[in-house]
Amino acid sequence: MSRAISKGRTAMNRVMTFGRSGVLVLGALALFLSIPASATIDGLSGGTYAFSAREGFISTADGGSFYCWGYANGAGVMQFPGPTLIVNEGQVVTVTLTNAIPHALGTKVSLVFPGQEAVVATGGTAGLLTQEASTAGGAVTYTFTASQPGTYLYHSGTSPELQCEMGLVGALVVRPAGHPTWAYNHSATAFDHEYLFLLTDMDPRIHELMELNQFPKITAPTKDSSSWWPTFWFINGRTGPDTMADAFVAWLPNQPYNCNPRSKPGETVLARMLGAGHDSHPFHTHGANHRVIARDGRMLESTPGAGPDLGWSDFTATISPGETMDALWSWSGYGMGWDIYGHQLGGTNLPGHGFDAHEMYAQSTLASAITPTDTAITVPAGEGARFPAAFRAILYQAGAPDPDTGTTPEVVMVSRTGADTFTIGRGKESTTALAWAAGSILAYTDHGRGLTVSLPSQQTIANGQFVSGSPFLGGSGELPPGEGGFNINGGLYFMWHSHNEREIVNDNTFPGGMLTMFVVEPPWVVIP
Amino acid sequence: MIANRLGIVLLAGILMVSLGAWADNLPGAKRPRTDLYGPESVLVQCPPDTDGIDTDGDGNPSNDNVCMHLTAGDGFVKTADRDRTGAIPEQGDIYTFGFSDVTLSSVPDLDGVCGAEFPAPTLVGYRAGAGSPEPLREGQKLYLTLTNVGMVMRGDLFDPHTVHFHGFPNASTIFDGEPMASISINMGASLTYFYNLVEPGTFMYHCHVEASEHMQMGMLGNLYVLPKQDKLPDGTLLGSFTHHTGYKYAYNDGDGSTKYDVDFPIQITSFDPNFHNADLSIQPLNFAYMNDTYPMLNGRGYPDTVLNAPIMNNRKAYRPELLNKPAQKVNARVQAAVGQKLLLRISSLATTDFYSVKILGLSMKVVGRGAHLLRGPDGPGGTPGKNLYYDTDTITLGGGQTSEVILDLAGVAPGTYYFYSSNLNHLSNNLEDYGGMMTEIEVIP
Repeated sequence: MSRAISKGRTAMNRVMTFGRSGVLVLGALALFLSIPASATIDGLSGGTYAFSAREGFISTADGGSFYCWGYANGAGVMQFPGPTLIVNEGQVVTVTLTNAIPHALGTKVSLVFPGQEAVVATGGTAGLLTQEASTAGGAVTYTFTASQPGTYLYHSGTSPELQCEMGLVGALVVRPAGHPTWAYNHSATAFDHEYLFLLTDMDPRIHELMELNQFPKITAPTKDSSSWWPTFWFINGRTGPDTMADAFVAWLPNQPYNCNPRSKPGETVLARMLGAGHDSHPFHTHGANHRVIARDGRMLESTPGAGPDLGWSDFTATISPGETMDALWSWSGYGMGWDIYGHQLGGTNLPGHGFDAHEMYAQSTLASAITPTDTAITVPAGEGARFPAAFRAILYQAGAPDPDTGTTPEVVMVSRTGADTFTIGRGKESTTALAWAAGSILAYTDHGRGLTVSLPSQQTIANGQFVSGSPFLGGSGELPPGEGGFNINGGLYFMWHSHNEREIVNDNTFPGGMLTMFVVEPPWVVIP
Repeated sequence: MIANRLGIVLLAGILMVSLGAWADNLPGAKRPRTDLYGPESVLVQCPPDTDGIDTDGDGNPSNDNVCMHLTAGDGFVKTADRDRTGAIPEQGDIYTFGFSDVTLSSVPDLDGVCGAEFPAPTLVGYRAGAGSPEPLREGQKLYLTLTNVGMVMRGDLFDPHTVHFHGFPNASTIFDGEPMASISINMGASLTYFYNLVEPGTFMYHCHVEASEHMQMGMLGNLYVLPKQDKLPDGTLLGSFTHHTGYKYAYNDGDGSTKYDVDFPIQITSFDPNFHNADLSIQPLNFAYMNDTYPMLNGRGYPDTVLNAPIMNNRKAYRPELLNKPAQKVNARVQAAVGQKLLLRISSLATTDFYSVKILGLSMKVVGRGAHLLRGPDGPGGTPGKNLYYDTDTITLGGGQTSEVILDLAGVAPGTYYFYSSNLNHLSNNLEDYGGMMTEIEVIP
C-alpha cells in the first residue's frame, strides 16, 4: 500500500498539522525546536583579549555534570571550549591570561598557539613551553601576528596532557585579508556558510578525581594519563543532542557554543574541523562528500596561486589530535532520479518514469553541446522544430559535473528564441531568476519526476524526530502522534558524526556524543 | 519443517505476507502463500526499465533497473577461534544482527528469519531473466527492498531497521537510512530504497538504527559500483591511452590510470564478544566500555579468512526448529596472477578503532578514497585535476572510510603475501594468538 505524497505546504499548515496530532510533543521538546540564533561561527573578534583560566562544571546530555577547567572571557564564567578567537590576516593578536583556578594542581596555566610563529610571552614565570601564570598573580601576555589565514587550535602549554583533558582548549580562526567569505587567499575557497567542529573526548574519572583533589594520589609521584578511557565525546564542547540546541542557552552556561550547521541547496559550506582531544575521529558527512582544502591552517595547493588543487574528496575525514582540517561541502540534489522539490508539471505530478520526446532530445543534445561559457546555442537547421514554440528547459551544467562540491549546482535555463536558436541563462537552483514556472519543460535534471517507489504505510514504519512526513525538500505530511516534530521547515537532516560508532553515545546512553544534524533547508528559509 | 518455521515467525510476534511479486518472475521461483497472511506488508518493488534511455552505457536502453531483496534480523556466526574438530560445537558461536539476501527466495520472510549473514551480502544487481546477479554499475537504478523479519532470539526487541548507503552522493533523507531523519521499517514489513547510481566507487552499507548497537552487532556489508568507462567503445582514446573492450577501471579516470585485471572487496570489521553476549542474554549493553577483540576481514578472522568454503553457523543449538546455515559466505582470500593489476576495495566499518593494514612485499598505489578518484578538483574550463595517487604499503582507515589500492604484480615473485593489520595486537582471535585481521594474497605464476 502506498502512502499519498502531498506537495509541500506552508510552515503554518505544518504547525496546524502538529496541533492535531502532536502538540504535547511540541510542548515537551520545544527547547530543541528553536531556530539557532546564528548560523556562523560564534566567537570574539577584535584581536585584544583578556582571558582568565577558571574552574566550573559542564553538562552532558545524559544528565551528567563534570568538573572542568576552561578559559573565560575576562572575568566571565569558565567556558568549554575557550572563546573562539576570530581575527584577520595580519592582525596583531594579544591575549592576557590570568589564573583563577583555586586548585592544588592548577598552580600554573598558560597558552600556546600551534601554527603561529614568533609568539612573544611576557610576564609570569618561565615554564617548559612558554611563560606560565600562577594563582599568586602575575598575568602573562601572549602576542603574535596572525600572519596566515586558517583554522588553528590554542590550548594550555602547562601539563597539557591533563589541562587539555580538563578543558583548556579553544579555536582560532584567521580570515584572509579583504576576503571575509573565503577560507584562504583564493576564490576557490569561498563559502556561503561556515561552521566549527571542535572535537574532544573525555574520561570522566579524571574529572571526578580532580574535583576531589585525588588525581595525583592514585599514581603518585607522576600524573598518569595512560589509563585514559573516554566515555564522552563532544563537538564544540557539547555532547549530542545538546549540540543542536541554541548557542548561549541559559541551561548550558559553561558550554556556550552549539553546532547547528545549515545551508540551502547549492550553497557552499566551510567546515572548520579541529582535533582538540586525545583520539583520532573519523568524522562522517552524511548527504554528500566534502572536499578537503587545507590542513593545519595551510591550503593544499601545489604552487602559489593555484588554489586548493591538492585537496581530495571524501565522505569521512580523519581528524587527528592537534590537527585541523578545512573542507568545503555542498548539497545540490543532483542526479537523484526523482524531483527532490516535488515540483509539478501543469498542476499534476508526472508519472514516476519517462521523459517525453522534448526532454529526451534536450538531454541528449542540448546538455552535451552547451559549454560552460555559452550564452546561446544553435541546433542544426530544422531541429528546433522538435520543440514547442515557448520551450524552456533547465539543465544542469553541461559536461561531467562533480556533484559533491564547488560550483556544480549551477543550472542553465534554455529558452527557445528562434527557429533553431536557444538562449542560455545561468544561476543556481531555486534562485528567483530560475524559479520554476508553469509550462516549463525541464530536462536532464529530475524536475517533475515523481518518487520512484511507493513508500510503506505509516503503520509499518518508524518516523525519526526530524522526519517531516514528506520525502520532498520543503514538504510535509501527517505523522502518527509522537513521531517527527523537530523539522518545521521540511528540511533535509543529515547526521554529521564520528563513524567510530562507540563515540556517538553519552557514557552508556545511545544516541549522543560526537554527533549533530546538518540541515539542508528549503530555498525560502532565511539562514543568517 | 515449514510449520515449525512458521511457528518461529509467530513467536517473534511477526505478522507478514510474502508477496515477492517480482521474485516470482525469476526462474525457479514459486508462488508464495499470500493466502496465509494478513494485509500485504512484505512488498518487493522492482519495476521494469521503460524509459527508453540507456543510462548505464551498455547500449541496451531496457536493462538499467536492477533489484535486490534483503532481510534484516538476527542470527549466528562463527569466530575463528571456533573448535575445528567438531568436539565443542558451541565454541566460537557469536550472536549477531545482520542482513540476508533473499532475492531469489520463494519465501523470503521465512528464509530471512535468524538468517543474518556476516558480512552482509555484497549489494549486487539482480535482473529478471539475467540469471546470476552482477556487480552494480554506474547508470543503473537500484531498487533495494529491505524486509524486517524481527529478532528471533530477542522477542523483547521490536527494533526497526534501515539500509544506509554510506557515501551516496547528494543523498535524499528518505533513502538515507539515518533513523532520526528518515523512515525505518518495522518488523513484518518492507521498504524499497531507490538509488540512482550516478557515481562509481567503493562505498559500504550498514543499518543506521541505534547505530552503535546494530553496527557492533554486525549489520555491515561491502558495496561498490563499477564505472561507465568500462563500457566505452573499443578503441576509444583516453588521452594517450587506448581503451579496449574488456578493460576495467576503478573510476572514470579519463587516462586509463586505474585500469585493473582483478578486483576484490575487503571490509575491516571487529566484534566485542562481551557486547554480543550481553545482547543475546538480554543484559544491559555496555557502550562505554565497548572493546573489540575479534578483528576481522570480510567477517572472518585468520585463518578463516583464507578458507574457501562457507562457514556453517550453529543456530540449531539455539533454535532447534532451524537447520544450521552457511552465514559467512565470503572469504578474504585474494588471488591474482603475475603481471596482473589487482584492485583492492578496502573499507572499514569497525565501530571502535582505526586500523592500519599492510602488505608485506608488495607495493600499493592508492588511487581512490571516499568513493572518489584520488584527484584534485577540476581546474578552469573543466581541465582535469591533479592525480594525487601515492605508493605505500600501509593504509589507515577509521570506521566509515574506504580506499582503493592497485597492486601491480608485474615482475613479482609468485607466492603468498600477507595482508594484515599492523596494529599487531589485533592479530588475534580474542584470546587466541596468530589470527585476527590477516589474510593472504596468492600471486599465481
